[in-house]
Amino acid sequence: MQRREALKSLAILTGGAVLIPSCNFEKEDILVAYSNLQITPSLQTLLGQIADTIIPPAKVKGASDLAVQDFILVMVNDCVDKDQQTQFTKGLQEFNAFSKKTGGANFSKLESVEKEKVLTEGLAIAANTTDENQKAIREFLSLTKRFTIQGFMMSEYMMTEVKPYSLIPGRYNGEVLISSISNMKING
Amino acid sequence: MANFNIDATQQRTFQAIVIGSGMSGSWAAKELCEHGVKTLVIERGRDVKHLRDYPTTNMLPYEFEHRGQLTKQIEEENPVVSKCYAFREDAMHFFVKDKEHPYVQEKPFDWIRGYQVGGKSLLWARQVQRWSDFDFEGPARDGFAVDWPIRYKDIAPWYSHVEKFAGVSGNKDGLANLPDGEFLPGFELNIVEKYFQEQLKKNYGESRHMILARCAHITGNLEYYKQQGRVQCQSRNLCQRGCPFGGYFSANASTLPWAEKTGNMTMRTDAVVHSIIYDEAKGKATGVRIVDAKTNQIEEYFADVIFVNAAALNTNLILLNSTSNRFPNGLGNDSGLLGKYVAFHNYRAGISAEYEGYAEYTTTGGRPTSGYFPRFRNLHKQETDFLRGYAAGFGAGRYNYADESGIGLSLKEELLNPSKYGNWSVGSHMMGETIPKETNYVALSKTEKDAWGIPLLSVNVSYDDNDEKMIKDYQEQMKEMFEKAGFKNIRTWDDHRAPGLDIHEMGGVRMGKDPRTSLLNKDHQLHACSNVYITDGASMTSTSTQNPSLTYMAFAARAAHHAMKNQKWGNV
Repeated sequence: MQRREALKSLAILTGGAVLIPSCNFEKEDILVAYSNLQITPSLQTLLGQIADTIIPPAKVKGASDLAVQDFILVMVNDCVDKDQQTQFTKGLQEFNAFSKKTGGANFSKLESVEKEKVLTEGLAIAANTTDENQKAIREFLSLTKRFTIQGFMMSEYMMTEVKPYSLIPGRYNGEVLISSISNMKING
Repeated sequence: MANFNIDATQQRTFQAIVIGSGMSGSWAAKELCEHGVKTLVIERGRDVKHLRDYPTTNMLPYEFEHRGQLTKQIEEENPVVSKCYAFREDAMHFFVKDKEHPYVQEKPFDWIRGYQVGGKSLLWARQVQRWSDFDFEGPARDGFAVDWPIRYKDIAPWYSHVEKFAGVSGNKDGLANLPDGEFLPGFELNIVEKYFQEQLKKNYGESRHMILARCAHITGNLEYYKQQGRVQCQSRNLCQRGCPFGGYFSANASTLPWAEKTGNMTMRTDAVVHSIIYDEAKGKATGVRIVDAKTNQIEEYFADVIFVNAAALNTNLILLNSTSNRFPNGLGNDSGLLGKYVAFHNYRAGISAEYEGYAEYTTTGGRPTSGYFPRFRNLHKQETDFLRGYAAGFGAGRYNYADESGIGLSLKEELLNPSKYGNWSVGSHMMGETIPKETNYVALSKTEKDAWGIPLLSVNVSYDDNDEKMIKDYQEQMKEMFEKAGFKNIRTWDDHRAPGLDIHEMGGVRMGKDPRTSLLNKDHQLHACSNVYITDGASMTSTSTQNPSLTYMAFAARAAHHAMKNQKWGNV
């Protein structure tokens, strides 16, 4: 992402920050590059961990290796409705609370199996839930998953090194036996 | 000082002026320049040079910040143009933004425009189907509008002329209602499209056909196109960005550089035409008055012959704004019909379905076209409770996709090795003929003006009962054809889009035999001002169903030759 991550001098944060006891009280700056969202650097890091749980690194790089969290923030900031932006920010801010409730600890403290479990539970929240926090978690995670997949698949790394994309797709063949297409398996 | 003025006037005097550098204007310019006629082309927008000014043409998907998607801010600022399928992150620089050029919508009308050298020829869908006498005889047979003053035989050689130079890929289908032309090798229909063809034959005999749509792409005769600096279409399907291969026809890749090469063309960009200058004493038009888009300076250019190819509605606007003592209501407007009988194509309806057969097959590669239904309704005689009929697009496709339900490594493996094939998806959209009516019209706003002091265009165009009946019939007929072919999950839709989004607005300066009921004669001259020619969409007497650009191009070439013969110019 080419975005300038300039920092605002004074930021107003609700949620996590205000719960920290007084002497260590530290107001975190908001990333102004995402002007429609309320994102601090630590939330950005958390988002990277979530994206990495959706698409973890292995033989092929994972989501945060490709800075997919920045792509997610660009897309949510620029390309979704105000209402979804609000839900996204709220869901991200509430996410560690949700992680504690369902996984027993802050997200970063969990093992990867537990992280997956937390995400799976969050994504499984019923669409018609009346609990506002649950609703925000669900909306946040579905947007995050959608843009993680898009950001990963449409990254330069994927489109040049893993599954090279060509601007020239080749001659049209309208009658190809699927069994005749030899796709070498890519180990993720 | 006097000498300076004479020089200045001489520098601004040409044999011909062409207003508009797009689909039809570039053809007039090409024909004129090629035959030695000193021609000024006036373009209201900026210059767009082939290759140099296609900033996104070779960009890879990951190079677009939003991967092709529009931002909410752009959508909110551009409620009209955002509806156009091609207005996306990769090509939005070739479209007029809503705020830049407002117009008045008396009724909802999505006016999609491209103000630059080449106009919308950079952005078009490149479908080029000929008209036949089933189309030209429509108004006379069915009693609407006025009789076309020309027939297929008048335009057929010019279709050939244009097809050969532009490059048209297609099959010889031998259909009387969609005449064959000068075709380069056709692309391929896929296995399900061929299956549907057979099903139509089985169920409807020779009365309904689905063929490969003819498209303006180079697929052969490569040595010939090399002269234009164009090479074979690579099936990139990124045409709207401008093609680095010149694989499809655009004014920028083809006609304009050809005209420029002759040394006879002068291009004046950023020049908004205010009006055409009419000389009462001489009884003809003598020039064009423009406003420089950047400096707001008014300038005049002079010529013996003037072609107006500003795109249908803007051609109307220019004529309406060209008033004089002789023509107080707009140039050539003795009949009072200028701006009236505007029509368009009805693109509201479509159908989608699935086919479970040929499950072991798919497609590979790309192609810039698909299937096409020539009109079959009311073709030989009136047989429904609505007039005329519709053409339709048709296509089938099959896609490999990943099951995205999982999370973690299993999701990643699936994304890297997508395992799913759905059924074949099949679909069609309608292209309905609309009936030109006096009540569908454009006029000059009495109160609002643009940044250059020119009245805004006020558009008053809507669907009618004939269109509603036709939508219903299209849906019923397509559903029946799909059912008979064994397609499943059939869904018809009507997106209730406003007129205009078809980008096939036509009429307002229609051709006809009688000056009392039409504006243009059989040679595209204004009846009342014969050195002004109009060969773009404004000249259309009726719309028929075919994508109209090919017909405009043929009109422009034909009229240019008429003008040259008339003026005894060049080597014609």
